[in-house]
Amino acid sequence: MWQVYIKELIELLRDKKTLFFIVALPMVIFPVLFGLMGFLGAKAAVSEQEKVIRYLLVNESAAPEFASNLFYHNDFKPVKLKLETEAEIIEAIKANKLDLVIVLNKDFKTQFDNSETSVWKAYFNGANLIGGIKFKMQNALAKFNEDLQLQIFTNMGFDQAQFAAFKKPVDIEQFDTADERESFGEKIGGLIPYILIPLCLTGAMYPAIDLGAGEKERGTIETLLLTPISRFSLVIGKFLCITTTAVMTALITIFSMVFWSFIVGQLLDVKVVSEILGSVGILDYGLIVLLLIPVSAIFAATLLAISIYASSYKEAQNYMGPLSILVIFPVIVGMTPGVSLNLTWSLVPIANVSLAIKELLKGTIDYSLLIPIFASTGFFALISILFCVHWFNKESVLFR
Amino acid sequence: MISVENLTKTFAMKANKKNSLATTKDPREQGNQFHALKDVSFHCKKGEVLGLLGPNGAGKTTTLRILSTALKPDSGAIIVNDVDVVKKPKVAKQKIGFLSGKTGLYGRLTARENIEFFAKLHGVSDEFLKNDADEIYQDLDITAYLERRVEDLSTGMQQKVSIARAVIHKPEVLVLDEPTTGLDIMATETILEFVQLMREQGTAVIFSTHHLDEIALLADRVSVINQGKSCFDGTVSDFKQQASDEDLRRAFMNVLHGVN
Repeated sequence: MWQVYIKELIELLRDKKTLFFIVALPMVIFPVLFGLMGFLGAKAAVSEQEKVIRYLLVNESAAPEFASNLFYHNDFKPVKLKLETEAEIIEAIKANKLDLVIVLNKDFKTQFDNSETSVWKAYFNGANLIGGIKFKMQNALAKFNEDLQLQIFTNMGFDQAQFAAFKKPVDIEQFDTADERESFGEKIGGLIPYILIPLCLTGAMYPAIDLGAGEKERGTIETLLLTPISRFSLVIGKFLCITTTAVMTALITIFSMVFWSFIVGQLLDVKVVSEILGSVGILDYGLIVLLLIPVSAIFAATLLAISIYASSYKEAQNYMGPLSILVIFPVIVGMTPGVSLNLTWSLVPIANVSLAIKELLKGTIDYSLLIPIFASTGFFALISILFCVHWFNKESVLFR
Repeated sequence: MISVENLTKTFAMKANKKNSLATTKDPREQGNQFHALKDVSFHCKKGEVLGLLGPNGAGKTTTLRILSTALKPDSGAIIVNDVDVVKKPKVAKQKIGFLSGKTGLYGRLTARENIEFFAKLHGVSDEFLKNDADEIYQDLDITAYLERRVEDLSTGMQQKVSIARAVIHKPEVLVLDEPTTGLDIMATETILEFVQLMREQGTAVIFSTHHLDEIALLADRVSVINQGKSCFDGTVSDFKQQASDEDLRRAFMNVLHGVN
């Protein structure tokens, strides 16, 4: 068995594709991609925030104070256009001649004096994820509304403090008992297994194809079957090798995440990131790795069984594609709000590990739940291995 | 030394395979089953070369796979030097070496790593590999490229390494399944010379082929399989005599068509 294990490992480590999936992907490619995404996202947000909105007020004379507010606001810049109908306004926005048109009600003054709500119309392109125009317009209008409310209250004989109390009769001073680690864990703890668990699958996938369907395609499986080694030992040797590569992928990913987070934290002077990562502790990092071992074992055995069944590389890849999507569902549980680790969830394979990793990062895990997690994940891994061995003993599968 | 008696083997058929055979139905197909071997028998003694002949799909590869323990027969017996291959496959595997047209080598391992990997699976000692394996490497003239990766070797070189891999555990029987198919003249020559050498060393060699010139050159005995049944097993001269023809190609055709 160990002869097979060592041989498979040497062969895999000499393969550029395997090295790409195990080392390059988590160490370089993913951090670069995430960094690039973060950089572009932040750049887009900043650019949206700094964007000066080109606007036009129709019936401007109805509310000169509001017009004046916008005119002197840094985020707004008036444009001179003559737009009379709604169709013209929409056409001008589509043609990117301006960003915002607000049509004021001509009777605003009268409505205000009669204590009636005046309805104005705003035209803008809302198909924007960040929603900068809407946000800035609402802020400007809120300020104007507040000025009007203050004017009403002043006319009624109230001072500014009374106005503030009227606006907000009850205020709450908040005391969050969650420490930074718990808050951080809750926010991104679900995301970590979402990266780690599919990476274990990816780390196992290519070696599984190579060690099963690949051997069939190259004709080496037959030579191997003619040696005195039992098929059980053969399967276990291959299975252990695939599990090793999957766990190695996870280990390298964890190392990469900690390393890059630390580097980014130092470079951008965001000490909180390195402090939080430091507070997780060696034991919890160790437990995360331990939890990933039976998950990797399930993946390794399932993928090897699929690979052995397939008669070619291509066929194996076709079968494994849907598996990648299936794995996402239990992993998403870790990111679902309101779902936390309990006895029931601890028995659901993959979902239990996803939840446990989140709890470990938050520092709120109930360590006794690790027993059912390891038991259930180990049980499913064993079933997968036995199925794999059974598959390997079938002539109709080996010589398809 | 090798006795193969009344082998039978049936495979379950898939729906798509059945459809594909619909226009040229094989008489061995019955319902959802395909009787690949119905009755195959042959014998080969120590130091003899037996050529296994038959048209494509006759059952040669299935027979050799059963002989080399990759498949189990439904019935029949295979005895290799008093060892029942079906009942004691693990013991039998120690006595059998196997080589096919595909080299069965791992491209990313070196030639030496390949040979030693299979040697260790056969229980060959480190001492033998250190002291005695060189003789095999020298016989096959592969010493110069033992440390090179197999994927970097030519087909002929790979086939020589594959031979070393097949005989490193000193098998008493060597099974070759169409070993020269797709090989160039030089590589074919290497295989044929090697078969001669093995015979001289007292190894029983069974090889399937479509090349009758190889039979003429090497074989002591001939066994012909057609549609899963043995239709001849005997010496080369008996083969020619039974077929009433000195020309091996015509003799083969006569045997297939049942002409005596």
